[in-house]
Amino acid sequence: MLELLGSGVFTILQWKFFLPLFLGTLAGVIGGAVPGVTITMTIIVILPFTYGLEPLAGLAAMTGVYVGGSAGGLITACLLGIPGTPSAIATTFDGFPMARNGEPGRALWLGVWASFFGGLLGGAFLILVTAPLAAIALEFGPWEYFSLFVLAMAMVAGLAEASLVKGLMATAIGLLITVIGTDPIGNALRFNFGSEFLSAGFPFLPVLIGIFAFAQIMADVEKVRDPQQTEGVAAVGQPTLRISHLAIIWEILSRPVLLLWSTIVGIVIGVLPAIGGSAANMMAYDQAKKFSPRPEKFGTGVPEGIIASESSNNANVGGSLVTIMAFGIPGDAVTAVMLGAMTIHGIQSGPLFVSQNAEIAYGIYAAYILAHPLMVLIIGLSTIFILKVTAVRLAVLAPVVLVLCVIGAYALNNTMGSVYVLLLFGVFGYVLVKAGFPLAPLILGLILGDQIELNLIRAIMTDANPWLFLTRPISGGLLLAAALSVVFAIWQHLRHQQRISEADADF
Amino acid sequence: MRLGRDGIAGLIGLAISLLLLPQAFGLPKLPIVPVGPGFYPTIVLVFLGTTSAILLVQDVLAQRRAGPAAAETPPAPPRAYGLVAAAFIVVAGYIALLPLVGFRLATVLFVGAFQYLLEPPKTTQQWILLTAIAIATSVVAYLVFERYLLVLLPRGAWTGW
Repeated sequence: MLELLGSGVFTILQWKFFLPLFLGTLAGVIGGAVPGVTITMTIIVILPFTYGLEPLAGLAAMTGVYVGGSAGGLITACLLGIPGTPSAIATTFDGFPMARNGEPGRALWLGVWASFFGGLLGGAFLILVTAPLAAIALEFGPWEYFSLFVLAMAMVAGLAEASLVKGLMATAIGLLITVIGTDPIGNALRFNFGSEFLSAGFPFLPVLIGIFAFAQIMADVEKVRDPQQTEGVAAVGQPTLRISHLAIIWEILSRPVLLLWSTIVGIVIGVLPAIGGSAANMMAYDQAKKFSPRPEKFGTGVPEGIIASESSNNANVGGSLVTIMAFGIPGDAVTAVMLGAMTIHGIQSGPLFVSQNAEIAYGIYAAYILAHPLMVLIIGLSTIFILKVTAVRLAVLAPVVLVLCVIGAYALNNTMGSVYVLLLFGVFGYVLVKAGFPLAPLILGLILGDQIELNLIRAIMTDANPWLFLTRPISGGLLLAAALSVVFAIWQHLRHQQRISEADADF
Repeated sequence: MRLGRDGIAGLIGLAISLLLLPQAFGLPKLPIVPVGPGFYPTIVLVFLGTTSAILLVQDVLAQRRAGPAAAETPPAPPRAYGLVAAAFIVVAGYIALLPLVGFRLATVLFVGAFQYLLEPPKTTQQWILLTAIAIATSVVAYLVFERYLLVLLPRGAWTGW
């Protein structure tokens, strides 16, 4: 394994892979730092640039975006009080107060070094666990795969903040989009309404880009003339960021339990499909506060809050990569785009990915590890420049991003059909967001739809007994976990309602 | 009966599933597969229909419970939905122009129009900046994608480039 990893590092250090990794990490740090531009948006923007590259070079660039973006959000979180990405929300709670208390450099670098250590620990997990997990996944039959996908969707739908029903309905919409076109077993046409265009079904990436990019940009456009949005938050001014790095590193490493526990929280949430860094940083912060001997100090600028949040969101990246590389299930929207990019280059993700594409798999590991020192270097050299970039107006940013989205869709197969799909789903995604539907379950339904159908039909073709889904131990266990996650979501919802009614009764 | 946002969404979801279910049932069976191509879509449509119906019922009950008190809820912050509609129209115009005038010209027009829509320039300097950004976006994208990365961009039927 070490030999393969060394070879991967050596490969990535070649100019043709290292440059995309560096540029991807830089784009990730900037995209992560700009409030309103998420990591998903950044990776969508980067996607068309990867089409002309070798598969590993493209994946290295995307890995760089993922690592850089997970850390970039802390720059504006600490120095402006605005989280650059949802995965840096909890960093704001203590990072900004610390910066306002006259220690902006300490706040920023606690976050950067915590991201570094959390990310590397996540990397160790990624390298050590992916192959054994993939070996377990190889033992899975169609029953287990079907049940695993059902569990993934049940968990994501259950985590939808607004309502479980809306989460489940969004999943159903995602699944429905995948049944349009040709049936994957017998090539029968379904729901194409006589249209040649619909016969091939909707291409995945234009649908994903349309739903995510448009929903976010248009949501920003609708607020562009809102005076509250332009007021901004009191910034730290021209921050002095000079600090002793050794002192900061010691400050983090002298809290090994906090660092390890937050990293574990990040990894576990990363492994669970489609939850993402936004939940990881909040949960790690919450855990750090609960276990702290001085919880009342949280929110006033304590280092523990920054360390917990930042180590967890970068460890989350490692966890997400495990899921996609071992099972072929994207951990979040970012890995969904990576999955799409792999498909474009003819690489099949899943349990056989690591063994059949060892060079690419270890190249991704190496890119992931090398992206961390690059991220530290980029933030060290360019924080003041990045703060200036965050001031770019939406009027300039939005059309440029939309042009890149159009290129991303068109260049998939050099037809305007994909661009029309992009616009169609752009409108659809925006309407769904305005109607209060979560997008994560829809995307997961969209990604897993074909695989669910294939495995369901394969299971039935192998043995028509439907009880096998329940009586095979792993499949039954996974379905039980799916049912429990839905029950848990309902229980949580009812408890929330009860609390609201109790609070109302107090008045 | 009054319906809220969720009720309307539920109604649409239910209508789609009821509309497509007969088509799913009508799909021809294949000799080699024990279940036909309509089997899985039927499950998906029943799932969609059920969740839609629950959402609809939840909304109807919530509307009844809320009654006239719902009218007293504080107003949502103002949102420029007209601007969003105009932005979508500009994007649609860009996509319609791409196969006619090609990527380079369409992109200049689109980036310029979108900037104008969000922040109309007032001074000559702002006009120059808007034009420069529009041209630079198109030129840089063309050079990077088509010349360097060899990614083809749309050609225009009218312009030939």
